[in-house]
Amino acid sequence: MFLEVQNIVKSFNNEHVVKELDFSLDAHKTLSILGKSGCGKTTMLKIIAGLVEPDSGTISLKGENITHMRPEKRNIVYLYQEDLLFPHLNAFENISFGLRLKKIPEPQIKEKVNHIIASLELHGQATKMPTQLSGGQRQRVSFGRAIITNPSLLLLDEPFGSLDAGTRQRMQSLFKKLTQEYDITSLFVTHDLKEAVLMGDEIGYMRAGMLQVYKNKQDFINDPDTGVQEEIEYWKSLKG
Amino acid sequence: MKVSWKPYILTLIVLLIGFPFIFMVLLSFSSSWRFPDILPGYFGLKNWVTILGSETGLLQSFIISVVISLSVGMVSTFSGFLISRAVFYHKRRRILTLFAYFPYVLAPVVFGACLSFFFLKIGLFGNVTGVIVAQFLVAFPYALIFFGSFWNKKIKSYEDLVATLGGTPRQTFFKVLLPLAKSMLLICFFQTFLISWFEYGLTSIIGVGKVQTLTIKVFLFIKEANYYYGALSCCLLIFPPVVLLYFNKRYVFKNLV
Repeated sequence: MFLEVQNIVKSFNNEHVVKELDFSLDAHKTLSILGKSGCGKTTMLKIIAGLVEPDSGTISLKGENITHMRPEKRNIVYLYQEDLLFPHLNAFENISFGLRLKKIPEPQIKEKVNHIIASLELHGQATKMPTQLSGGQRQRVSFGRAIITNPSLLLLDEPFGSLDAGTRQRMQSLFKKLTQEYDITSLFVTHDLKEAVLMGDEIGYMRAGMLQVYKNKQDFINDPDTGVQEEIEYWKSLKG
Repeated sequence: MKVSWKPYILTLIVLLIGFPFIFMVLLSFSSSWRFPDILPGYFGLKNWVTILGSETGLLQSFIISVVISLSVGMVSTFSGFLISRAVFYHKRRRILTLFAYFPYVLAPVVFGACLSFFFLKIGLFGNVTGVIVAQFLVAFPYALIFFGSFWNKKIKSYEDLVATLGGTPRQTFFKVLLPLAKSMLLICFFQTFLISWFEYGLTSIIGVGKVQTLTIKVFLFIKEANYYYGALSCCLLIFPPVVLLYFNKRYVFKNLV
């Protein structure tokens, strides 16, 4: 398996935030993780990214144990709900940030950034500062900044949570296109039912620090805890 | 037609605020100005020329003050920035921040008296290094409290993001934290420079008259009733803050708007 998470446990002040986390993921797949606020989704992502140390358990990526590896050595990028663009850099420099950290030669940086700007449909925005960009454009720059470093795993923590419905839909389509174009493996955390179904090749549901990954989408739909049945009934009742 | 008093009142206020400064500059060019004379007995560059001579020691005091204030400003700003980060991530950050207020609970003279014993023991009494260290002990807590507002969850998220993008803590510091804090660093340097520049009580106790900063010199001239040299040293005293104010207005506040 590409990513293997085994028996991860994490507590804060005697409160078990993550309990016996156990799942795996194949390369170039997206696992959508649905769950209510405070169920431990963000802590789980931060543990995988290396930003929070687990109390016990192991994490393996491409067969290598990375449980205690520093975040900068893991090649796992964590994307927040907020775009977190660097306010002192323009869109081009924001995207190229990770490449400059790795001291990639300048001609290669230009070529890669220009290519990704085209993929992200950001023509003519390269020299603009973050304050001059719209919410959707900022989120796309943030994606570009993460994808350009060619991460082994991309962790997305409700990335479209702050966008309006229309922009959110466009970003979902764009993300699907990019995951195929750049062979991205990702964990996509969301609290939106439809988004979880749309974005994931696999779906998991997290409750009280425990993650259940479903064998297929039908199992997920049939589980009464996920709320899918309620949603279906609601729309049916509107139809009359 | 209704007469507007606003321009007249504004002019009067500007004159009232500006007059002491204008009078101070005029006084620095004067000498032999005794009551009831309306004009001074001498008006010219004589006082200013004495800056270059060693008679009054004003030039020396000016240079010492610049060296002390630049050292205190730079060291306390950078150390305050770095240590405030450690304080923010510390479990007991509230109590540590509370300690930073300690130097301000005591009057500078009392604080100086408390320090003098230790400074005497370690040979920092009556020299420039001692004055720099003493003033640093006042300016550093200010910087620590000042940068307390910079560190927050968003900055932590930036740090985490850079780490996952492959950045080392050193790269995070130079490529993200310093640019983000640029304006605050400049303002803090300006403030700590001013704290040091106008410091009197602590400097007079630790310097024991051997380290004559410009502020000490101003008080000496006033005690001697030498108003002309007093005004001259005051002109020198306000020169660096005015230059800093100009740079702040041009490069810092412009970016904040």
